[in-house]
Amino acid sequence: MGKELIQKSLKDSLFTGIIALALFGPIVGLRTVAKNEVLIVEPKWLVVLLIVIFCAVGRFFINLYTFKKEQRRGEPSSLGKAISNFLDEKGAQIAIGAIVFSIIFPFMPFADRYWMDIAIMMMTYIMLGWGLNIVIGLAGLLDLGYVAFYAVGAYSYALFAIHFGWSFWICLPLAGLFAGMFGILLGFPVLRLRGDYLAIVTLAFGEMIRILLLNWYELTKGPDGLTGIPRPSFFGLPFKRYPDEGVETFHTFFGMEYDPMQRIIFLYYLILILALVTNAFTIKIRRLPVGRAWEALREDEIACKSLGVNPRNTKLTAFAVGAMFGGFAGSFFATRQAFISPESFTFIESAIIVAIVVLGGMGSQTGVVLSTIFLIGLIEVFRDFESYRMVAFGGAMVLIMIFRPRGILAKRKPTITMGKQG
Amino acid sequence: MSDTLLDVQNLTMKFGGLIAIDDLTFSAKKDHITSIIGPNGAGKTTVFNCLTGFYRATAGSMYLNKDNNKMDLKKFSDFKVAQKAGVARTFQNIRLFPQMSVLENMMVAQHNKLMIASGFSILGLLNSRSFLQKEKEAVEISKYWLDIIGLTNRADDNAGDLPYGDQRKLEIVRAMCINPHLLCLDEPAAGLNAKESAELNKLLKFIKNDKKTGILLIEHDMSVVMGISDHVVVLNYGKKIFEGTAKETKNSPEVIEAYLGTEE
Repeated sequence: MGKELIQKSLKDSLFTGIIALALFGPIVGLRTVAKNEVLIVEPKWLVVLLIVIFCAVGRFFINLYTFKKEQRRGEPSSLGKAISNFLDEKGAQIAIGAIVFSIIFPFMPFADRYWMDIAIMMMTYIMLGWGLNIVIGLAGLLDLGYVAFYAVGAYSYALFAIHFGWSFWICLPLAGLFAGMFGILLGFPVLRLRGDYLAIVTLAFGEMIRILLLNWYELTKGPDGLTGIPRPSFFGLPFKRYPDEGVETFHTFFGMEYDPMQRIIFLYYLILILALVTNAFTIKIRRLPVGRAWEALREDEIACKSLGVNPRNTKLTAFAVGAMFGGFAGSFFATRQAFISPESFTFIESAIIVAIVVLGGMGSQTGVVLSTIFLIGLIEVFRDFESYRMVAFGGAMVLIMIFRPRGILAKRKPTITMGKQG
Repeated sequence: MSDTLLDVQNLTMKFGGLIAIDDLTFSAKKDHITSIIGPNGAGKTTVFNCLTGFYRATAGSMYLNKDNNKMDLKKFSDFKVAQKAGVARTFQNIRLFPQMSVLENMMVAQHNKLMIASGFSILGLLNSRSFLQKEKEAVEISKYWLDIIGLTNRADDNAGDLPYGDQRKLEIVRAMCINPHLLCLDEPAAGLNAKESAELNKLLKFIKNDKKTGILLIEHDMSVVMGISDHVVVLNYGKKIFEGTAKETKNSPEVIEAYLGTEE
């Protein structure tokens, strides 16, 4: 087997090298440079050679250790299996450890403004991932327009807060409610669609909301965006260095020095709580009849109908609940940024959230966290390399697809077990 | 008339120019196993799809006698036939929820009752005692049925990992979890070996005799049909060509002709 394997892998990697040459030769190898006001082609064959060698050798080793090794393609590799088994066994401990870590995180010595901002951003993505996991992971409805609900949440929060001056804790549920209503609104026309067709319509829905926000100038200020969104306060105590006359602030109330980090840490805990609530809710509802019906619908809609499960209501609740959490995350986004514009709600956001859910392993709550850390973390680590960020993002996706074709955590736990009942 | 469970009159189903069922009239009695047989393409599954609301019949009437209430099955669309009228069905190509556990499959079948018990999820989210009690009862019902087909020890395994014969049986008991008045089985013996067929016969007789549930059966396996049917309806090209007991059917020249052709 060994010789044959090496032969096969060599052949394949040679082929990969040829494809790499064909691709990167023109893209990287031929560069136009302006010299003395003349455009000339400057060949960079050394770089091309390095890339081709990298691709071929990389392919050779991937072949040797994953693709060709196990005869059946698409089976999880041994490395992936080991990771997954480890996470399965130690799942509870890891989850508790992660929660403890995220609680003490702001007081870590290295947790400066930069790290806190990244942590808040990651938490937002984790929360969005958990929300979308209900729609995609549980109910199996491929929703490519999730950012629309994020936008609806953000804008309804902003409009309520600006025009009525309501506090964060009143606007938050309202924003969730609005987003949930939009979820139902989207749900109705797409009830009969599945798979690719559903994906197209949801994608269009996401764009519609964005374009609506862009053009309804009277309400949304269009491309100018909404400014002056009130910052959240700590039970009525604002985070301000120079408060208005007679207003007690957070730092004076607790007798501390003013520090802008106080607000950042508060925002961090806010999104941490929101995300954990989303997680707890999802874990709980998955074990309820409606959660089981979502999963059953993902598995086989016709069988569901034959058992008297109402597919319409079941799908609509999935859309509504998923959208509601998107709305919560949106209102957090609005209050954190204090400024929102349609720019923030483009398709790429939807795509990233979908990637987080799918690469994490459909329906897996822990998987969402892992893939967020992996994907968003990589983008951040590569921040200094500008245009290579997206290459890193794509590379991370490719790596997950090679080692864990069904997502980082593909194993599903039953929602109810006979053993537990005795 | 009171022991009639299902009364189908002049049922017709057309797909464009194709007449799949042509003026079919038959009835099924309570505590009976009524078999629908016929060559491939005779329209047997189409009859099921009309009965269970997956298709809307072009013409004719279908009435179900549910505790002496005459229910018009044509009034119900897809899932409502199972929910409101209590007509359960299985499929020719097994339709389990393969990535869900055996027990979860059984729990989904009890969805409507559990949904009400969970206060449309609100009581359930609050961990209400009454919901937990109802959920426990549902598990008990599942366990009862799994005991009967001998799958209790595999209750926590994925349904898709079961052997083929067990999947067939699981699909039948899952359908029984909705407490049906009429159970429609589409080729339950397809792909089963002789031993599994015998077990299936036993299960169906149990459902008929002990659960008092009427069974409508589409089947090609004649050992099953002849072994357990109380009444046989034979279809060919969407038309009923014969109706009678299993024994009469076996000896009917029309039926033999439909299956084997005529001697020239």
